[in-house]
Amino acid sequence: MHTILLIEDIPDNAMLVQKILTSQGYEVLWAKTAEKGLELAGKNHPEMILLDLGLPDIDGQTLVGYLRNVPELEKVPIIVVSAWPEDTARNMVTAYGCDGYVSKPINVRYFIEVVNDYFKKEEK
Amino acid sequence: MLHKLIPASEFTIEELTYAYNQTRVDYLVPMPMNAKRLEEYVHHYDVDMDRSVVAMVRDEMLALGMLGVRPGRAWITRLGVLPASRRGGVGESIMRYMLARADESGIPLNILEVIKNNAPAHQLFLKCNFHETRELLILRRPPGSPKVLPKGQCRWMEQEEALRYLAFHPVPQAWTNHIETYLNSGDVLGLYVEVNGSSGWMIFRCQKFILTHFVMHTEAGDPQVVGLELLRCLHQKFPMKDTYVENITVDDPQLPAMYAMGYIEAFRRIEMYRHVK
Repeated sequence: MHTILLIEDIPDNAMLVQKILTSQGYEVLWAKTAEKGLELAGKNHPEMILLDLGLPDIDGQTLVGYLRNVPELEKVPIIVVSAWPEDTARNMVTAYGCDGYVSKPINVRYFIEVVNDYFKKEEK
Repeated sequence: MLHKLIPASEFTIEELTYAYNQTRVDYLVPMPMNAKRLEEYVHHYDVDMDRSVVAMVRDEMLALGMLGVRPGRAWITRLGVLPASRRGGVGESIMRYMLARADESGIPLNILEVIKNNAPAHQLFLKCNFHETRELLILRRPPGSPKVLPKGQCRWMEQEEALRYLAFHPVPQAWTNHIETYLNSGDVLGLYVEVNGSSGWMIFRCQKFILTHFVMHTEAGDPQVVGLELLRCLHQKFPMKDTYVENITVDDPQLPAMYAMGYIEAFRRIEMYRHVK
């Protein structure tokens, strides 16, 4: 079973993502803040991080910059899940070295595809 | 149902944080805060909680607005209304409350920034006699060393010296970059460079994970050369830090250097002034 860390401050959004991913057989860890996300990432070494850019303690981009400087986490794929305007979010994703982007509100079918495709590619 | 307006000082910072986040859930650029961040915001930007306000119906907070006050000027900030309570005049009621508090103190200038393309807020501010002054940029740069090393002379400055330079900057700064902000935050550094006959300086806040609150100025020569040299020195010294540059004017002469150094635009704000006769 693949473990995914979800860093998202809005509980309703987090519950939706958890429900979608657990139905697909993933184990989902949820962190409501960047600080908690860092703690869970360090302890559990997730195989993917789903990250909201707007977090209440440290913003998403700063968190990515930090994660990319932690040796055991620098290669963990990070998929940004954001309500930002798509062009801006995609620019951020590229500049900060993230691995993908899903816009909010989530299109469930597309979201599942993005996550499943990533793990399929990894397995090949 | 009619709402009541209650000074923000009657609420805890946790209550205000919760209300603020609820008003922003559907914003173009959601920027949630925790209580610690909002508390710092209040301190750094001289928000006066007695003259800031919350709109309530029964026990529910519908909206809030904050008023920063500094000598000769006031700043409207954190104005937000719960999505379900919009278009009912609550935002205008909060605006007029805060402007009345500023006016009764004899403050001659009111300032605010609105995110570009937030049409309802922009319309409200025009209705309250604000006019547009300029467009401001919010830029980001991920951590990383500069690809080209600095070529000239670089001198680091402590807060006191950097603030002396800022005091003589020829262009008025946005509220977030006024001298008071740097004095309040305390984590301030400056940098002076000379390269190929050009010279200039910058001031910034150096936080744990991030560099913020940039102001740059070219004293002599080419602003692009000065900008590049400043940023190369800066990112060479702090390669692990993220960068968030807020409220740089769209015609800032150093802006091309920022783009050349990998800064990207996150979003834009419109600054607006209201002069009180």
